[in-house]
Amino acid sequence: MSAEERLHTLSIRNLSVRRGGVEILAGVDADIRCGEVTALIGPNGAGKTTLLQAILGQVPYTGEIRFCRAREHGEGVPRIGYVPQQLPFDRDTPLSVLDFFALSQQRYPVFFGHSRRVRRSAQDSLDRAGVGHLLHRPLGRLSGGEFQRVLFALAVRDAPDILLLDEPVSGVDVAGAEQFCDFLSQVQRSSKFGLLLVSHDLSVVTRHADQVICLNRRIVCRGATTEVLTPENLASMYGGEAHLFRHAPADGHGHLHGLPEGKG
Amino acid sequence: MEGVLLHVFGLMERLLPFSFAEPMFMKRALLALLLIAPAAAAVGVPLVQFRMAFFSDAIGHSAFTGVALGILLGVSPSWTVAAFGAFVAVAITLVKGHTDLSTDAVIGVFFSTVIALGIAIISSRKGLTRNLQSFLYGDPLAVSDAELLWMAGLLFTVGVYLFFAYNRILLLGVHEGFARTKGVPVRAVEISFSLIVALVVTAAINAVGILLVTAMLVIPATAARNVARGAGTAFHLSVGIALLSGISGLIASYYLDTATGATVVLAAAACFFLTALFRALRPAG
Repeated sequence: MSAEERLHTLSIRNLSVRRGGVEILAGVDADIRCGEVTALIGPNGAGKTTLLQAILGQVPYTGEIRFCRAREHGEGVPRIGYVPQQLPFDRDTPLSVLDFFALSQQRYPVFFGHSRRVRRSAQDSLDRAGVGHLLHRPLGRLSGGEFQRVLFALAVRDAPDILLLDEPVSGVDVAGAEQFCDFLSQVQRSSKFGLLLVSHDLSVVTRHADQVICLNRRIVCRGATTEVLTPENLASMYGGEAHLFRHAPADGHGHLHGLPEGKG
Repeated sequence: MEGVLLHVFGLMERLLPFSFAEPMFMKRALLALLLIAPAAAAVGVPLVQFRMAFFSDAIGHSAFTGVALGILLGVSPSWTVAAFGAFVAVAITLVKGHTDLSTDAVIGVFFSTVIALGIAIISSRKGLTRNLQSFLYGDPLAVSDAELLWMAGLLFTVGVYLFFAYNRILLLGVHEGFARTKGVPVRAVEISFSLIVALVVTAAINAVGILLVTAMLVIPATAARNVARGAGTAFHLSVGIALLSGISGLIASYYLDTATGATVVLAAAACFFLTALFRALRPAG
């Protein structure tokens, strides 16, 4: 059995999405393998979030999205975890973080309390995300970074086969982003799910991704991170506005910093 | 079934040796409020979360047409009010899901249509207006045994429904797209919840009337939101405030000789202002 066959893979073939007569994605082919980090990059309006929504089955599409499950993991539909870029909700909602975790796991209503299983798994996954102290806090009182970690902890709790992260470090400061990414690769390495990461931040991508997909309505290029993230490819995707420079490999792994679209 | 009611009244006789509880109509009214107030307040918690106060108002006003249809068809208005309320609830939910119009615009259209239709039918028949009065203002003192049994059945239905659906409803109330990724059957939850709201609203009309029915659902839940930080507290406070204001409103109306439905709503409103004050004075954090 080759290494390829042992991994489950989410294979996307010839995926197209049209909305209101406008083609948002056309002929997209991609493989997202478990145990790997796949980065999805591309300019604004490239259809990155739409691709995630198609994988989640939230937008109609043509083409095929198929989950090939390794034999030893049994049959069934894949569990897909999703951490959205933002989740606008009523901040005044009387709902604690623990309540929020219970809503999708507990059969009996939250007004009868929380089951021991819900409590334990919530505390456990929050601890792993480094935010165990937030368990009893009202959901509406969390900061942007805290809320994103809670969402991430919730996604990890449900043991996903594939986890989709949309801009996980947007709205978090640089130190916070580094910390989050380190933690992310640590969890990902131990849990073996496939991670599809949408990011603007090329330093995150180069440090953590095994595979990169460059998207601009169609696939511009895809492959191993080091092969794909060349100045030429980035220039063709971001329209020559990407300013790329290579850091000295002082921390053991040289990485690229890019400033696509003139943002930092 | 009526035998069960007799036993309940006998029990109340022994448990409540107060002068206000002596008359039979007061026992009926108390029982009606004990059945309908917690059902309305429990459904009210997610209703407020969904910002559906206007929706429940529209269902309440559909009773105009419901009553008129009942009299036209020669059946008890209670049935046609409930059936027409449920019909309007599903219609609003379906139309809302299939257009880009804002929710309040869709509800506004239905709201005016059902009132206009009701008034048109009633105005064409002489003598119907008097029948409508009781629905407009409601009166728990005039609740019949059949209506009490209907309310008991409703409380049971609401309880069973919320037991199985409450978590999904709340998750949907946080964020629709996110709830969908967690496997919540969004459309089924929306439609079933709007049906339950319609049943509760049309039953609560008997107690407080069309004009005040939304208050039964919205005020206890909103008062609870002022102070609750978790989902459990919000639910229990809402139900508790509803029971408290139902009982105290009924007793106050007996001694003050005021309309019972209105007094109950005023008691709930007092709870709202008290909790709002508490919220304003509570240190932030």
